[in-house]
Amino acid sequence: MSGLAHFLTLASDGMKANRLFWLLIAGFAFFPIFTHFADLPFWNDVAMRIMLLGMAAMGLNLVLGYGGMVSFGHAAFIGIGAYCVGIGDFYGLTNGWAHMLLGIVVCGLMGLVIGYLALRTSGIYFIMITLAFAQMLFFLFVSLEQFGGDDGMSIDRAEFGFIDLYNPLRLYFLIWVTLALVGLGLMFIVHSRFGVTLRAIKSNESRIEAMGLEPLQFKITGYVISAVICGLAGVLFANWQEYVSPDIMHWTRSGELMIIIILGGLGTLAGPLLGAIVFLLLEESLPIMLDSVAPAYAENWMILFGPLLIMVVMFGRGGLVGLLAAQRQSKNNPKRTKAGQ
Amino acid sequence: MSQPVLNLQKLNKSFGALKATSDLSMTVMPGEIHALIGPNGAGKTTLIQQIYGALKPDSGQVSLNGSEITKLSVPDRVRAGIGRSFQISNVLMDFTVMENGIIAEQARLGHSFRFLQPAFSDAVLIEGAKAILQRVGLEKRAEQRVGDLAHGERRMLELALALAASPSLLLLDEPMAGAGPEDSQRMAEIIEALRGKVAILLIEHDMDAVFRLADRLTVMVEGAVIAAGTVAEISANEAVKLAYLGGEE
Ligand SMILES: Nc1ncnc2c1ncn2[C@@H]1O[C@H](COP(=O)(O)OP(=O)(O)O)[C@@H](O)[C@H]1O
Ligand SMILES: [Mg+2]
Repeated sequence: MSGLAHFLTLASDGMKANRLFWLLIAGFAFFPIFTHFADLPFWNDVAMRIMLLGMAAMGLNLVLGYGGMVSFGHAAFIGIGAYCVGIGDFYGLTNGWAHMLLGIVVCGLMGLVIGYLALRTSGIYFIMITLAFAQMLFFLFVSLEQFGGDDGMSIDRAEFGFIDLYNPLRLYFLIWVTLALVGLGLMFIVHSRFGVTLRAIKSNESRIEAMGLEPLQFKITGYVISAVICGLAGVLFANWQEYVSPDIMHWTRSGELMIIIILGGLGTLAGPLLGAIVFLLLEESLPIMLDSVAPAYAENWMILFGPLLIMVVMFGRGGLVGLLAAQRQSKNNPKRTKAGQ
Repeated sequence: MSQPVLNLQKLNKSFGALKATSDLSMTVMPGEIHALIGPNGAGKTTLIQQIYGALKPDSGQVSLNGSEITKLSVPDRVRAGIGRSFQISNVLMDFTVMENGIIAEQARLGHSFRFLQPAFSDAVLIEGAKAILQRVGLEKRAEQRVGDLAHGERRMLELALALAASPSLLLLDEPMAGAGPEDSQRMAEIIEALRGKVAILLIEHDMDAVFRLADRLTVMVEGAVIAAGTVAEISANEAVKLAYLGGEE
Protein backbone atom coordinates (compact mmCIF):
# COMPACT_ATOMS: atom_id res chain seq x y z
CA MET A 1 0.00 0.00 0.00
CA SER A 2 2.82 2.39 0.84
CA GLY A 3 4.18 1.47 -2.60
CA LEU A 4 1.07 2.92 -4.21
CA ALA A 5 1.17 6.01 -2.00
CA HIS A 6 4.81 6.47 -2.91
CA PHE A 7 3.97 6.12 -6.59
CA LEU A 8 1.20 8.71 -6.31
CA THR A 9 3.51 11.18 -4.57
CA LEU A 10 6.08 10.72 -7.31
CA ALA A 11 3.42 11.13 -9.99
CA SER A 12 2.00 14.31 -8.50
CA ASP A 13 5.47 15.81 -8.03
CA GLY A 14 6.23 14.96 -11.64
CA MET A 15 2.99 16.52 -12.84
CA LYS A 16 3.76 19.74 -11.01
CA ALA A 17 7.17 19.85 -12.64
CA ASN A 18 5.68 19.17 -16.10
CA ARG A 19 2.64 21.39 -15.89
CA LEU A 20 2.60 22.34 -19.56
CA PHE A 21 2.39 18.75 -20.74
CA TRP A 22 -0.45 17.85 -18.39
CA LEU A 23 -2.30 21.05 -19.29
CA LEU A 24 -2.15 19.98 -22.93
CA ILE A 25 -3.40 16.51 -21.99
CA ALA A 26 -6.26 18.09 -20.03
CA GLY A 27 -6.98 20.29 -23.04
CA PHE A 28 -7.32 17.23 -25.26
CA ALA A 29 -9.71 15.68 -22.73
CA PHE A 30 -12.09 18.64 -22.93
CA PHE A 31 -11.62 19.36 -26.63
CA PRO A 32 -14.49 17.06 -27.82
CA ILE A 33 -16.92 19.04 -25.64
CA PHE A 34 -15.82 22.18 -27.42
CA THR A 35 -16.13 20.64 -30.90
CA HIS A 36 -19.53 19.27 -29.96
CA PHE A 37 -20.94 22.65 -29.00
CA ALA A 38 -19.14 24.53 -31.74
CA ASP A 39 -20.37 21.88 -34.16
CA LEU A 40 -16.91 21.21 -35.58
CA PRO A 41 -16.66 17.41 -35.54
CA PHE A 42 -13.92 17.53 -38.20
CA TRP A 43 -11.60 18.99 -35.59
CA ASN A 44 -11.85 15.85 -33.46
CA ASP A 45 -10.19 14.12 -36.36
CA VAL A 46 -7.41 16.71 -36.44
CA ALA A 47 -6.97 16.35 -32.69
CA MET A 48 -6.61 12.58 -33.02
CA ARG A 49 -3.99 13.01 -35.72
CA ILE A 50 -2.14 15.47 -33.49
CA MET A 51 -2.21 13.09 -30.54
CA LEU A 52 -0.98 10.19 -32.67
CA LEU A 53 1.89 12.09 -34.24
CA GLY A 54 2.62 13.68 -30.86
CA MET A 55 2.82 10.23 -29.28
CA ALA A 56 5.23 8.98 -31.94
CA ALA A 57 7.32 12.14 -31.60
CA MET A 58 7.43 11.63 -27.81
CA GLY A 59 8.76 8.14 -28.47
CA LEU A 60 11.44 9.43 -30.83
CA ASN A 61 12.26 12.24 -28.40
CA LEU A 62 13.51 9.69 -25.86
CA VAL A 63 16.39 8.78 -28.17
CA LEU A 64 16.71 12.05 -30.11
CA GLY A 65 16.19 14.62 -27.37
CA TYR A 66 17.27 12.83 -24.21
CA GLY A 67 19.73 10.33 -25.68
CA GLY A 68 21.22 12.44 -28.47
CA MET A 69 20.73 9.66 -31.04
CA VAL A 70 19.57 11.13 -34.34
CA SER A 71 17.43 8.28 -35.61
CA PHE A 72 16.09 9.05 -39.06
CA GLY A 73 14.00 5.92 -39.37
CA HIS A 74 11.39 5.99 -36.67
CA ALA A 75 8.48 6.10 -39.10
CA ALA A 76 9.30 2.44 -39.73
CA PHE A 77 8.11 1.58 -36.23
CA ILE A 78 4.84 3.46 -36.77
CA GLY A 79 4.45 1.44 -39.96
CA ILE A 80 5.22 -1.86 -38.29
CA GLY A 81 2.67 -1.08 -35.58
CA ALA A 82 0.07 -0.22 -38.21
CA TYR A 83 0.77 -3.37 -40.22
CA CYS A 84 0.40 -5.43 -37.04
CA VAL A 85 -3.25 -4.38 -37.23
CA GLY A 86 -3.58 -4.93 -40.98
CA ILE A 87 -1.75 -8.24 -41.14
CA GLY A 88 -3.31 -9.39 -37.87
CA ASP A 89 -6.75 -8.74 -39.38
CA PHE A 90 -5.72 -10.53 -42.56
CA TYR A 91 -5.04 -13.69 -40.57
CA GLY A 92 -8.20 -13.40 -38.51
CA LEU A 93 -6.73 -11.71 -35.44
CA THR A 94 -9.32 -9.00 -34.89
CA ASN A 95 -8.86 -8.19 -31.21
CA GLY A 96 -7.42 -4.71 -30.71
CA TRP A 97 -5.64 -5.57 -27.46
CA ALA A 98 -3.95 -8.42 -29.28
CA HIS A 99 -2.88 -5.96 -31.99
CA MET A 100 -1.40 -3.71 -29.34
CA LEU A 101 0.47 -6.59 -27.74
CA LEU A 102 1.70 -7.72 -31.16
CA GLY A 103 2.78 -4.16 -32.02
CA ILE A 104 4.69 -3.84 -28.75
CA VAL A 105 6.46 -7.18 -29.17
CA VAL A 106 7.30 -6.81 -32.86
CA CYS A 107 8.44 -3.18 -32.55
CA GLY A 108 10.43 -4.06 -29.45
CA LEU A 109 12.22 -6.84 -31.32
CA MET A 110 12.77 -4.71 -34.42
CA GLY A 111 14.03 -1.88 -32.22
CA LEU A 112 16.43 -4.32 -30.56
CA VAL A 113 17.81 -5.59 -33.86
CA ILE A 114 18.05 -2.21 -35.58
CA GLY A 115 19.36 -0.54 -32.43
CA TYR A 116 21.93 -3.28 -31.85
CA LEU A 117 23.29 -2.89 -35.38
CA ALA A 118 22.93 0.86 -35.88
CA LEU A 119 24.12 2.02 -32.46
CA ARG A 120 27.59 0.64 -33.14
CA THR A 121 28.00 3.70 -35.32
CA SER A 122 27.43 7.35 -34.52
CA GLY A 123 27.01 10.73 -36.15
CA ILE A 124 26.17 10.77 -39.83
CA TYR A 125 26.63 6.99 -40.14
CA PHE A 126 23.98 6.36 -37.53
CA ILE A 127 21.57 8.69 -39.32
CA MET A 128 22.19 6.93 -42.64
CA ILE A 129 21.90 3.41 -41.22
CA THR A 130 18.61 4.09 -39.44
CA LEU A 131 17.31 5.66 -42.65
CA ALA A 132 18.51 2.64 -44.63
CA PHE A 133 16.69 0.20 -42.33
CA ALA A 134 13.51 2.25 -42.63
CA GLN A 135 13.80 2.31 -46.41
CA MET A 136 14.35 -1.45 -46.46
CA LEU A 137 11.15 -1.96 -44.49
CA PHE A 138 9.31 0.54 -46.69
CA PHE A 139 10.20 -1.37 -49.85
CA LEU A 140 9.55 -4.69 -48.16
CA PHE A 141 5.94 -3.67 -47.58
CA VAL A 142 5.69 -2.20 -51.07
CA SER A 143 6.67 -5.61 -52.41
CA LEU A 144 4.27 -7.65 -50.24
CA GLU A 145 1.44 -7.98 -52.74
CA GLN A 146 -0.76 -10.11 -50.49
CA PHE A 147 -0.94 -7.17 -48.08
CA GLY A 148 -1.82 -4.69 -50.80
CA GLY A 149 1.70 -3.74 -51.84
CA ASP A 150 1.88 -0.12 -52.84
CA ASP A 151 -1.85 0.43 -52.46
CA GLY A 152 -2.00 -0.83 -48.91
CA MET A 153 -4.92 -2.55 -47.27
CA SER A 154 -8.09 -1.25 -45.73
CA ILE A 155 -8.74 -2.13 -42.14
CA ASP A 156 -11.80 -2.64 -39.99
CA ARG A 157 -11.45 -0.84 -36.72
CA ALA A 158 -10.42 -3.47 -34.22
CA GLU A 159 -12.50 -4.93 -31.42
CA PHE A 160 -11.35 -3.49 -28.13
CA GLY A 161 -13.78 -5.48 -25.99
CA PHE A 162 -16.39 -3.11 -24.66
CA ILE A 163 -14.83 -0.16 -26.48
CA ASP A 164 -16.60 0.18 -29.82
CA LEU A 165 -14.21 2.19 -31.97
CA TYR A 166 -16.90 3.03 -34.51
CA ASN A 167 -18.15 5.37 -31.86
CA PRO A 168 -15.73 8.19 -32.78
CA LEU A 169 -15.34 9.41 -29.21
CA ARG A 170 -14.31 5.95 -28.02
CA LEU A 171 -11.41 5.94 -30.47
CA TYR A 172 -10.61 9.49 -29.44
CA PHE A 173 -10.37 8.54 -25.79
CA LEU A 174 -8.50 5.31 -26.45
CA ILE A 175 -5.85 7.45 -28.15
CA TRP A 176 -6.04 10.00 -25.35
CA VAL A 177 -5.58 7.44 -22.56
CA THR A 178 -2.68 5.81 -24.39
CA LEU A 179 -1.05 9.19 -24.90
CA ALA A 180 -1.47 10.10 -21.23
CA LEU A 181 -0.01 6.76 -20.13
CA VAL A 182 2.93 7.13 -22.51
CA GLY A 183 3.50 10.62 -21.09
CA LEU A 184 3.33 9.30 -17.54
CA GLY A 185 5.77 6.51 -18.37
CA LEU A 186 8.23 8.85 -20.07
CA MET A 187 7.96 11.33 -17.22
CA PHE A 188 9.22 8.64 -14.84
CA ILE A 189 11.78 7.19 -17.21
CA VAL A 190 13.64 10.41 -18.00
CA HIS A 191 14.22 11.20 -14.32
CA SER A 192 14.96 7.63 -13.27
CA ARG A 193 18.47 6.25 -12.91
CA PHE A 194 18.15 4.83 -16.40
CA GLY A 195 16.97 8.13 -17.89
CA VAL A 196 19.60 10.14 -16.08
CA THR A 197 22.28 7.80 -17.43
CA LEU A 198 20.86 8.15 -20.94
CA ARG A 199 20.99 11.95 -20.67
CA ALA A 200 24.51 11.77 -19.27
CA ILE A 201 25.55 9.65 -22.27
CA LYS A 202 24.24 12.40 -24.53
CA SER A 203 26.26 14.92 -22.55
CA ASN A 204 29.50 12.93 -22.46
CA GLU A 205 29.65 9.29 -23.41
CA SER A 206 33.28 8.77 -22.48
CA ARG A 207 32.70 9.91 -18.88
CA ILE A 208 29.95 7.32 -18.55
CA GLU A 209 32.40 4.66 -19.76
CA ALA A 210 34.92 6.00 -17.27
CA MET A 211 32.31 5.33 -14.57
CA GLY A 212 32.27 1.68 -15.59
CA LEU A 213 28.95 1.72 -17.46
CA GLU A 214 28.45 0.35 -20.97
CA PRO A 215 26.74 3.16 -22.94
CA LEU A 216 25.51 0.79 -25.65
CA GLN A 217 23.27 -1.09 -23.21
CA PHE A 218 21.50 2.10 -22.21
CA LYS A 219 21.21 3.37 -25.76
CA ILE A 220 19.74 0.12 -27.03
CA THR A 221 17.26 0.01 -24.15
CA GLY A 222 16.20 3.58 -24.91
CA TYR A 223 15.92 2.73 -28.58
CA VAL A 224 13.67 -0.24 -27.85
CA ILE A 225 11.39 1.82 -25.58
CA SER A 226 11.07 4.52 -28.22
CA ALA A 227 10.37 1.95 -30.94
CA VAL A 228 7.61 0.45 -28.81
CA ILE A 229 5.98 3.86 -28.26
CA CYS A 230 6.03 4.54 -32.01
CA GLY A 231 4.59 1.07 -32.57
CA LEU A 232 1.72 1.81 -30.21
CA ALA A 233 1.05 5.03 -32.08
CA GLY A 234 1.08 3.00 -35.30
CA VAL A 235 -1.48 0.48 -34.03
CA LEU A 236 -3.83 3.33 -33.15
CA PHE A 237 -3.00 5.17 -36.36
CA ALA A 238 -4.18 2.19 -38.42
CA ASN A 239 -7.45 2.12 -36.51
CA TRP A 240 -7.93 5.83 -36.94
CA GLN A 241 -7.14 5.75 -40.66
CA GLU A 242 -8.97 2.43 -41.24
CA TYR A 243 -6.28 1.85 -43.77
CA VAL A 244 -2.59 1.11 -43.90
CA SER A 245 -0.09 1.44 -46.74
CA PRO A 246 3.69 1.78 -46.96
CA ASP A 247 3.13 5.53 -47.09
CA ILE A 248 2.75 5.53 -43.33
CA MET A 249 6.46 4.73 -43.02
CA HIS A 250 7.69 6.99 -45.78
CA TRP A 251 11.00 8.63 -44.89
CA THR A 252 9.38 12.06 -44.97
CA ARG A 253 7.36 11.04 -41.92
CA SER A 254 10.58 10.32 -40.04
CA GLY A 255 11.66 13.83 -40.96
CA GLU A 256 8.30 15.20 -39.90
CA LEU A 257 8.72 13.64 -36.45
CA MET A 258 12.14 15.24 -36.08
CA ILE A 259 10.79 18.63 -37.14
CA ILE A 260 7.94 18.32 -34.65
CA ILE A 261 10.38 17.59 -31.82
CA ILE A 262 12.78 20.40 -32.69
CA LEU A 263 9.90 22.83 -33.16
CA GLY A 264 8.38 21.91 -29.80
CA GLY A 265 11.57 21.51 -27.80
CA LEU A 266 14.15 18.72 -27.79
CA GLY A 267 14.42 16.71 -24.62
CA THR A 268 11.30 18.06 -22.93
CA LEU A 269 8.14 16.17 -22.05
CA ALA A 270 5.76 18.75 -23.53
CA GLY A 271 7.88 19.62 -26.58
CA PRO A 272 6.84 16.87 -29.00
CA LEU A 273 3.14 17.25 -28.20
CA LEU A 274 3.25 21.03 -28.46
CA GLY A 275 5.28 20.66 -31.66
CA ALA A 276 2.68 18.30 -33.10
CA ILE A 277 -0.11 20.73 -32.26
CA VAL A 278 1.60 23.68 -33.93
CA PHE A 279 2.92 21.64 -36.86
CA LEU A 280 -0.44 20.12 -37.78
CA LEU A 281 -2.37 23.34 -37.20
CA LEU A 282 0.01 25.15 -39.53
CA GLU A 283 -0.30 22.31 -42.01
CA GLU A 284 -4.06 22.79 -41.90
CA SER A 285 -4.12 26.56 -41.94
CA LEU A 286 -1.15 27.69 -44.03
CA PRO A 287 -2.61 26.40 -47.33
CA ILE A 288 -5.89 28.14 -46.54
CA MET A 289 -4.13 31.38 -45.63
CA LEU A 290 -1.94 31.21 -48.72
CA ASP A 291 -4.95 30.41 -50.85
CA SER A 292 -6.57 33.69 -49.87
CA VAL A 293 -3.43 35.74 -50.55
CA ALA A 294 -1.67 33.97 -53.38
CA PRO A 295 -3.77 31.06 -54.64
CA ALA A 296 -1.16 29.94 -57.14
CA TYR A 297 1.20 29.10 -54.31
CA ALA A 298 -1.25 27.43 -51.94
CA GLU A 299 0.22 24.00 -52.65
CA ASN A 300 3.66 25.22 -51.68
CA TRP A 301 2.81 26.13 -48.10
CA MET A 302 6.11 24.54 -47.08
CA ILE A 303 7.78 27.67 -48.51
CA LEU A 304 6.36 29.61 -45.58
CA PHE A 305 6.71 26.78 -43.13
CA GLY A 306 10.43 26.25 -43.69
CA PRO A 307 11.55 29.78 -42.74
CA LEU A 308 9.12 29.79 -39.82
CA LEU A 309 10.71 26.65 -38.50
CA ILE A 310 14.22 28.00 -38.97
CA MET A 311 13.23 31.11 -37.01
CA VAL A 312 11.92 29.09 -34.07
CA VAL A 313 15.05 26.96 -34.05
CA MET A 314 17.39 29.96 -34.27
CA PHE A 315 15.71 32.37 -31.91
CA GLY A 316 14.24 29.99 -29.41
CA ARG A 317 16.97 27.42 -28.94
CA GLY A 318 14.81 25.07 -26.86
CA GLY A 319 11.95 25.25 -29.37
CA LEU A 320 8.51 26.52 -28.38
CA VAL A 321 8.85 25.09 -24.86
CA GLY A 322 12.11 27.02 -24.51
CA LEU A 323 10.45 30.20 -25.76
CA LEU A 324 7.61 29.81 -23.26
CA ALA A 325 10.06 29.18 -20.42
CA ALA A 326 12.13 32.23 -21.36
CA GLN A 327 8.98 34.34 -21.45
CA ARG A 328 7.93 33.19 -18.00
CA GLN A 329 11.36 33.75 -16.61
CA SER A 330 11.71 37.27 -17.98
CA LYS A 331 8.29 38.08 -16.54
CA ASN A 332 9.16 36.77 -13.09
CA ASN A 333 12.71 38.04 -13.11
CA PRO A 334 13.21 40.75 -15.71
CA LYS A 335 16.95 40.97 -15.18
CA ARG A 336 17.70 37.39 -16.17
CA THR A 337 16.48 36.54 -19.63
CA LYS A 338 18.52 33.46 -20.39
CA ALA A 339 16.43 30.82 -22.14
CA GLY A 340 16.00 27.29 -20.93
CA GLN A 341 16.69 26.19 -17.36
CA MET B 1 57.74 -7.90 -2.52
CA SER B 2 54.07 -7.27 -2.94
CA GLN B 3 52.43 -7.71 -6.30
CA PRO B 4 52.34 -4.65 -8.55
CA VAL B 5 48.99 -2.98 -9.14
CA LEU B 6 49.87 -2.38 -12.76
CA ASN B 7 52.24 -4.49 -14.78
CA LEU B 8 52.98 -3.63 -18.41
CA GLN B 9 54.93 -6.16 -20.44
CA LYS B 10 56.52 -5.35 -23.80
CA LEU B 11 53.76 -3.10 -25.04
CA ASN B 12 53.97 -1.96 -28.65
CA LYS B 13 51.74 0.46 -30.50
CA SER B 14 52.31 2.07 -33.88
CA PHE B 15 50.37 4.72 -35.75
CA GLY B 16 51.45 3.95 -39.31
CA ALA B 17 55.21 4.42 -39.38
CA LEU B 18 55.24 6.19 -36.02
CA LYS B 19 56.12 3.98 -33.09
CA ALA B 20 54.19 5.58 -30.21
CA THR B 21 54.91 2.76 -27.73
CA SER B 22 58.04 0.72 -28.15
CA ASP B 23 58.66 -2.52 -26.20
CA LEU B 24 57.55 -0.77 -23.08
CA SER B 25 57.54 -2.56 -19.72
CA MET B 26 56.92 -0.98 -16.34
CA THR B 27 55.18 -1.54 -13.02
CA VAL B 28 53.24 0.61 -10.59
CA MET B 29 53.29 -0.60 -6.97
CA PRO B 30 50.41 -0.40 -4.48
CA GLY B 31 49.95 3.02 -2.92
CA GLU B 32 52.81 4.70 -4.77
CA ILE B 33 52.68 7.89 -6.78
CA HIS B 34 54.43 7.03 -10.00
CA ALA B 35 55.17 9.89 -12.35
CA LEU B 36 55.43 9.37 -16.08
CA ILE B 37 57.44 12.16 -17.69
CA GLY B 38 58.81 12.89 -21.10
CA PRO B 39 58.72 15.59 -23.79
CA ASN B 40 55.58 16.39 -25.73
CA GLY B 41 54.76 13.63 -28.18
CA ALA B 42 56.76 11.03 -26.24
CA GLY B 43 53.71 8.77 -26.15
CA LYS B 44 52.53 9.26 -22.56
CA THR B 45 48.85 9.74 -23.37
CA THR B 46 48.98 6.86 -25.86
CA LEU B 47 50.34 4.65 -23.09
CA ILE B 48 47.60 5.71 -20.67
CA GLN B 49 45.03 4.96 -23.36
CA GLN B 50 46.31 1.40 -23.64
CA ILE B 51 46.23 0.91 -19.88
CA TYR B 52 42.71 2.30 -19.81
CA GLY B 53 41.50 0.25 -22.77
CA ALA B 54 40.60 3.00 -25.22
CA LEU B 55 43.48 1.88 -27.47
CA LYS B 56 44.48 -1.73 -28.07
CA PRO B 57 48.24 -2.40 -28.10
CA ASP B 58 49.64 -4.13 -31.20
CA SER B 59 51.38 -6.57 -28.89
CA GLY B 60 52.21 -6.98 -25.21
CA GLN B 61 50.28 -7.41 -21.99
CA VAL B 62 48.53 -5.19 -19.46
CA SER B 63 47.89 -6.73 -16.03
CA LEU B 64 45.98 -5.21 -13.13
CA ASN B 65 46.48 -6.71 -9.67
CA GLY B 66 47.85 -9.89 -11.21
CA SER B 67 45.13 -10.54 -13.78
CA GLU B 68 45.53 -9.81 -17.44
CA ILE B 69 43.15 -7.13 -18.75
CA THR B 70 44.61 -6.59 -22.24
CA LYS B 71 41.40 -7.71 -23.93
CA LEU B 72 38.88 -6.00 -21.62
CA SER B 73 36.72 -3.02 -22.67
CA VAL B 74 36.98 0.35 -20.96
CA PRO B 75 33.94 -0.16 -18.67
CA ASP B 76 35.18 -3.62 -17.71
CA ARG B 77 38.58 -2.21 -16.77
CA VAL B 78 36.95 0.54 -14.75
CA ARG B 79 34.97 -2.05 -12.85
CA ALA B 80 38.19 -4.01 -12.38
CA GLY B 81 39.63 -0.98 -10.56
CA ILE B 82 40.94 1.72 -12.91
CA GLY B 83 39.95 5.38 -12.43
CA ARG B 84 41.00 8.09 -14.83
CA SER B 85 41.17 11.81 -15.42
CA PHE B 86 41.80 12.97 -18.96
CA GLN B 87 44.23 15.48 -20.45
CA ILE B 88 41.23 17.62 -21.43
CA SER B 89 38.83 17.68 -18.51
CA ASN B 90 36.07 15.21 -18.96
CA VAL B 91 32.99 15.75 -16.78
CA LEU B 92 29.24 15.93 -17.39
CA MET B 93 29.01 19.55 -18.49
CA ASP B 94 25.21 19.78 -18.79
CA PHE B 95 24.63 18.79 -15.17
CA THR B 96 25.28 20.29 -11.76
CA VAL B 97 28.19 19.24 -9.57
CA MET B 98 25.79 17.32 -7.34
CA GLU B 99 24.22 15.58 -10.32
CA ASN B 100 27.68 14.53 -11.52
CA GLY B 101 28.24 13.02 -8.09
CA ILE B 102 24.87 11.27 -8.10
CA ILE B 103 25.49 9.66 -11.49
CA ALA B 104 28.93 8.51 -10.33
CA GLU B 105 27.37 7.09 -7.18
CA GLN B 106 24.65 5.17 -9.02
CA ALA B 107 27.29 3.82 -11.42
CA ARG B 108 29.38 2.75 -8.41
CA LEU B 109 26.40 0.95 -6.88
CA GLY B 110 25.77 -0.82 -10.17
CA HIS B 111 22.02 -0.22 -10.24
CA SER B 112 21.47 2.02 -13.21
CA PHE B 113 18.73 -0.02 -14.88
CA ARG B 114 15.90 1.37 -12.77
CA PHE B 115 13.06 3.21 -14.37
CA LEU B 116 10.77 4.67 -11.72
CA GLN B 117 12.37 6.45 -8.76
CA PRO B 118 13.84 9.86 -9.72
CA ALA B 119 17.62 9.63 -9.34
CA PHE B 120 18.36 13.25 -8.44
CA SER B 121 16.12 13.23 -5.37
CA ASP B 122 17.13 9.77 -4.16
CA ALA B 123 18.40 10.18 -0.57
CA VAL B 124 20.79 7.23 -0.83
CA LEU B 125 22.40 8.61 -3.98
CA ILE B 126 22.61 12.14 -2.55
CA GLU B 127 24.45 10.83 0.53
CA GLY B 128 26.91 8.95 -1.65
CA ALA B 129 27.39 11.93 -3.94
CA LYS B 130 28.17 14.21 -0.99
CA ALA B 131 30.89 11.81 0.15
CA ILE B 132 32.33 11.77 -3.38
CA LEU B 133 32.41 15.57 -3.57
CA GLN B 134 33.80 16.02 -0.06
CA ARG B 135 36.95 14.15 -1.00
CA VAL B 136 38.00 17.10 -3.17
CA GLY B 137 36.25 19.84 -1.19
CA LEU B 138 33.57 20.56 -3.80
CA GLU B 139 30.53 19.96 -1.58
CA LYS B 140 29.95 23.72 -1.25
CA ARG B 141 29.68 24.02 -5.02
CA ALA B 142 27.14 21.20 -5.29
CA GLU B 143 24.39 23.26 -6.90
CA GLN B 144 26.61 24.91 -9.52
CA ARG B 145 26.27 23.87 -13.15
CA VAL B 146 29.55 22.33 -14.22
CA GLY B 147 29.58 24.61 -17.24
CA ASP B 148 29.83 27.58 -14.82
CA LEU B 149 32.73 26.16 -12.79
CA ALA B 150 36.25 27.53 -13.00
CA HIS B 151 38.68 25.33 -14.89
CA GLY B 152 40.50 24.23 -11.76
CA GLU B 153 37.28 23.22 -10.03
CA ARG B 154 36.31 21.18 -13.05
CA ARG B 155 39.59 19.29 -12.81
CA MET B 156 38.87 18.72 -9.12
CA LEU B 157 35.43 17.37 -9.97
CA GLU B 158 36.92 15.05 -12.54
CA LEU B 159 39.30 13.72 -9.92
CA ALA B 160 36.36 13.15 -7.57
CA LEU B 161 34.51 11.20 -10.27
CA ALA B 162 37.62 9.14 -11.00
CA LEU B 163 37.91 8.32 -7.28
CA ALA B 164 34.22 7.58 -6.79
CA ALA B 165 34.44 3.83 -7.28
CA SER B 166 37.55 3.51 -5.05
CA PRO B 167 39.88 2.38 -7.84
CA SER B 168 43.11 0.50 -7.12
CA LEU B 169 44.87 2.43 -9.90
CA LEU B 170 44.33 6.08 -10.74
CA LEU B 171 45.49 7.41 -14.10
CA LEU B 172 45.99 11.19 -14.06
CA ASP B 173 46.86 12.80 -17.38
CA GLU B 174 48.19 16.31 -16.66
CA PRO B 175 45.69 17.09 -13.86
CA MET B 176 47.25 20.50 -13.25
CA ALA B 177 47.58 21.62 -16.86
CA GLY B 178 45.94 24.97 -17.40
CA ALA B 179 45.09 25.47 -13.72
CA GLY B 180 46.25 28.55 -11.83
CA PRO B 181 48.88 28.30 -9.07
CA GLU B 182 46.28 28.05 -6.29
CA ASP B 183 44.31 25.29 -7.98
CA SER B 184 47.54 23.45 -8.80
CA GLN B 185 48.53 23.70 -5.15
CA ARG B 186 45.19 22.28 -4.04
CA MET B 187 45.37 19.51 -6.61
CA ALA B 188 48.87 18.62 -5.40
CA GLU B 189 47.61 18.49 -1.81
CA ILE B 190 44.77 16.19 -2.76
CA ILE B 191 47.11 13.89 -4.70
CA GLU B 192 49.55 13.95 -1.78
CA ALA B 193 46.72 12.89 0.56
CA LEU B 194 46.03 9.88 -1.66
CA ARG B 195 49.56 8.54 -1.25
CA GLY B 196 49.41 5.04 0.22
CA LYS B 197 45.67 4.73 -0.43
CA VAL B 198 45.64 4.26 -4.17
CA ALA B 199 48.35 3.64 -6.76
CA ILE B 200 48.65 6.68 -9.00
CA LEU B 201 50.19 6.95 -12.44
CA LEU B 202 50.71 10.67 -12.90
CA ILE B 203 51.61 12.49 -16.10
CA GLU B 204 52.72 16.01 -15.27
CA HIS B 205 54.87 18.65 -16.92
CA ASP B 206 55.49 20.77 -13.84
CA MET B 207 58.80 19.30 -12.66
CA ASP B 208 58.59 20.91 -9.22
CA ALA B 209 55.28 19.17 -8.62
CA VAL B 210 56.62 15.90 -10.00
CA PHE B 211 59.71 15.92 -7.80
CA ARG B 212 57.63 16.80 -4.77
CA LEU B 213 54.93 14.18 -5.32
CA ALA B 214 56.51 11.20 -7.01
CA ASP B 215 57.78 8.12 -5.20
CA ARG B 216 59.16 6.80 -8.46
CA LEU B 217 59.50 8.14 -12.00
CA THR B 218 59.53 6.63 -15.44
CA VAL B 219 61.01 8.73 -18.24
CA MET B 220 59.77 8.19 -21.78
CA VAL B 221 61.23 9.42 -25.02
CA GLU B 222 59.86 8.44 -28.43
CA GLY B 223 57.71 5.64 -27.09
CA ALA B 224 60.41 3.93 -25.03
CA VAL B 225 61.47 4.04 -21.38
CA ILE B 226 64.93 5.61 -21.12
CA ALA B 227 65.14 5.60 -17.34
CA ALA B 228 63.16 4.61 -14.25
CA GLY B 229 63.84 5.07 -10.56
CA THR B 230 63.43 7.27 -7.53
CA VAL B 231 63.52 11.07 -7.74
CA ALA B 232 67.15 11.09 -6.60
CA GLU B 233 68.18 8.49 -9.14
CA ILE B 234 66.45 10.23 -12.01
CA SER B 235 67.73 13.70 -11.24
CA ALA B 236 71.27 12.26 -11.21
CA ASN B 237 70.77 10.31 -14.46
CA GLU B 238 72.94 11.69 -17.27
CA ALA B 239 70.85 10.21 -20.07
CA VAL B 240 67.73 11.88 -18.71
CA LYS B 241 69.48 15.21 -18.30
CA LEU B 242 70.63 15.02 -21.85
CA ALA B 243 67.44 13.82 -23.45
CA TYR B 244 64.91 15.65 -21.41
CA LEU B 245 65.67 17.69 -18.32
CA GLY B 246 68.64 19.47 -19.88
CA GLY B 247 66.84 19.93 -23.16
CA GLU B 248 64.30 22.24 -21.56
CA GLU B 249 66.81 24.64 -20.08
N1 LIG C 1 45.28 8.41 -32.81
C1 LIG C 1 46.50 8.74 -33.29
N2 LIG C 1 46.79 8.57 -34.59
C2 LIG C 1 48.02 8.90 -35.07
N3 LIG C 1 49.01 9.38 -34.33
C3 LIG C 1 48.77 9.58 -33.01
C4 LIG C 1 47.51 9.27 -32.43
N4 LIG C 1 47.57 9.57 -31.11
C5 LIG C 1 48.80 10.04 -30.90
N5 LIG C 1 49.53 10.05 -32.02
C6 LIG C 1 50.94 10.45 -32.14
O1 LIG C 1 51.68 9.64 -31.22
C7 LIG C 1 52.70 10.40 -30.61
C8 LIG C 1 52.51 10.35 -29.11
O2 LIG C 1 51.39 11.13 -28.73
P1 LIG C 1 50.91 11.28 -27.22
O3 LIG C 1 50.77 9.93 -26.64
O4 LIG C 1 49.70 12.14 -27.22
O5 LIG C 1 52.14 12.04 -26.58
P2 LIG C 1 52.26 12.77 -25.16
O6 LIG C 1 51.02 12.53 -24.38
O7 LIG C 1 53.46 12.16 -24.54
O8 LIG C 1 52.48 14.22 -25.44
C9 LIG C 1 52.58 11.81 -31.17
O9 LIG C 1 53.56 11.93 -32.22
C10 LIG C 1 51.19 11.88 -31.72
O10 LIG C 1 51.13 12.75 -32.80
MG1 LIG D 1 49.54 13.82 -23.62
